[in-house]
Amino acid sequence: MATAAPIPPIMTTLKSSSSKISSEPWTPGTHTLDLSSSLFRHLVPSQLQSKIPSLTHGPWSPVSTVPVTIHAFPTLAPRSLESYSTKHLYLPLRRDLLHLAVIYEADATRQGTASTKTRWEVAGSHRKVHRQKGTGKARVGTKQSPIRVGGGVSHGPKPRDFSTRLNRKVYDVAWRTALSYRYRRGELLVCEDGMDLALPRDFTTLLRGGFVADELAASYRRKWAEQILFANQWGKPDGRTLFVTGSRRPGLFDCMHDAGMHGRCLEVSDVDVKDLLEEGRVVVERAALREMLENHQSDLVSKIFINGLSRSGPPIGEPLVA
Amino acid sequence: MPPRTSPLHVAACCSRLLLRPAANSHTPSLVSLFAGLTIGTRQASILANLRDNKGAYQKRIRLGRGPSSGKGKTSGRGHKGQKQHGKVKPWFQGGQTPLVVQRGKMGFENRRAPVMSKVNLDKLQEWIDAGRIDPTKRITVKELVESRLVGSIKDGIKLLGRGKEELRQPIDILVSRASTSAIGAVEGAGGKIVTRFYTKQSIRRILEGKSENTDKPLPVGAEHVPGVLAEMRSKGFPYRLPDPTSRRDIEYYRDPAHRGYLSHLLKPGESPSLYFKVPTVSERVVKKKKRPEQAKAAETLW
Repeated sequence: MATAAPIPPIMTTLKSSSSKISSEPWTPGTHTLDLSSSLFRHLVPSQLQSKIPSLTHGPWSPVSTVPVTIHAFPTLAPRSLESYSTKHLYLPLRRDLLHLAVIYEADATRQGTASTKTRWEVAGSHRKVHRQKGTGKARVGTKQSPIRVGGGVSHGPKPRDFSTRLNRKVYDVAWRTALSYRYRRGELLVCEDGMDLALPRDFTTLLRGGFVADELAASYRRKWAEQILFANQWGKPDGRTLFVTGSRRPGLFDCMHDAGMHGRCLEVSDVDVKDLLEEGRVVVERAALREMLENHQSDLVSKIFINGLSRSGPPIGEPLVA
Repeated sequence: MPPRTSPLHVAACCSRLLLRPAANSHTPSLVSLFAGLTIGTRQASILANLRDNKGAYQKRIRLGRGPSSGKGKTSGRGHKGQKQHGKVKPWFQGGQTPLVVQRGKMGFENRRAPVMSKVNLDKLQEWIDAGRIDPTKRITVKELVESRLVGSIKDGIKLLGRGKEELRQPIDILVSRASTSAIGAVEGAGGKIVTRFYTKQSIRRILEGKSENTDKPLPVGAEHVPGVLAEMRSKGFPYRLPDPTSRRDIEYYRDPAHRGYLSHLLKPGESPSLYFKVPTVSERVVKKKKRPEQAKAAETLW
């Protein structure tokens, strides 16, 4: 996508409330010094103050949507433009929430199956090993005593559940914060539905005929994936890439399995917050992004029904340019 | 920010512009060319820089780990005695004969008593005002639970009269029980109230759509069973609502004072109680004993 212009063309279509204020399109992070505002008024000599053109804005109305380009995969040609709520894709970075979410997931992932046998569980007779006196050896009871080799383990690990609790709304904000972080850094690439990597027909026919050894096929798929990864600077030297699709796509998943050093593929149901933060960028299918946002907006939707309706979250992916 | 795409694309684009400067009347500024370029950055994951807010965690106090910790020698437990070595029961009165031993325990807790969710009239009016309950339709267990006026399902719902003067519009309500003041308030506002027997399970089934919520009791008798079953199945309800079987419940719902759904079964003058009859005023019928005159006659010989 050629975006050599100082302001990307997508920005000009941004639905911004600032259209009343100035003709300049809104860009995040660029603010002009407004001399008429009370903050800077003291910088201007008093006799000139009346000459400051009044740039007084109306009531503060912040931008509520951000644009997202939907690309074709793997050519990355822009196909359409959609607007997403700032509550979905433009949340401020909260490292503490991300930390809580990552720790919560890590705790839940712990297997907790480490197990040892206590002296009561070790099999064997509890007969006295030898008599109390007269052997010249130390007195001894049973073989299972923890001080003897082959005995039980005292205070050893037992299977347990390490999972901790985290409020659902906190977790959902953390999830959208992770997506927003990616979006803000330009590391969130949204592609059209049906994202897959087709392999050449010659190769697939040979593979189906059983003429290609497994190793050869694997290296072919790796090189096939590397073509695209290196062309887009998505590979290992550039911090790897996570692909998220709605369901398992054989071409993409197999290729990325063989090119595992350059990134990985996940179905949307397998993704969690840590996955979104691990790789250098996230390439996500449009429907998968929508599913992620729908499933993680418990703080935006309400369970309270008023006149038969409940407060639903902001719209996800309103088309701007089709 | 637009997604960072490969600078290779950008480079190609820029070079094309640079190679053909004459074609464009306005030459692109150097700034605009730089803006499209992605400056190579080192890849560093944010995962290494996540931490909770300062002060979110308190460090655990380590007891008995040396004098400099401030909790070293006695570990904050003082000197000598039961409190140092273990635990004193909160109700221990220092050796004095405890009250429970002196006086004994009074009363008992009835674990079998049904637990009712309480719904007060002021809360109900609040929900109606907020538009969360529609007063033009009948208010039942389903409406109360789904509007989250009642949080958890218990053995039933009892309507209570707190804020009865706040009730402004007539309502039609069907609940398990109702207090006298609540009945008075609902009917005073021109509304209607009926109480009906529910169990925890039957409320769950109503909420799942497996039972029809009605204030009509099932007809009694084996001959009614096929008809009732056929009707329920045609409506798609696999379960019927149970009617009370215990004497206490039957008596409650037979009582017109409770606006019970079985009160129409009472015959005029009949008591809701299944045990006591209503004392009736009636003429005392005195039967005159016939004197056995013939026998007397037989006894007399002359």
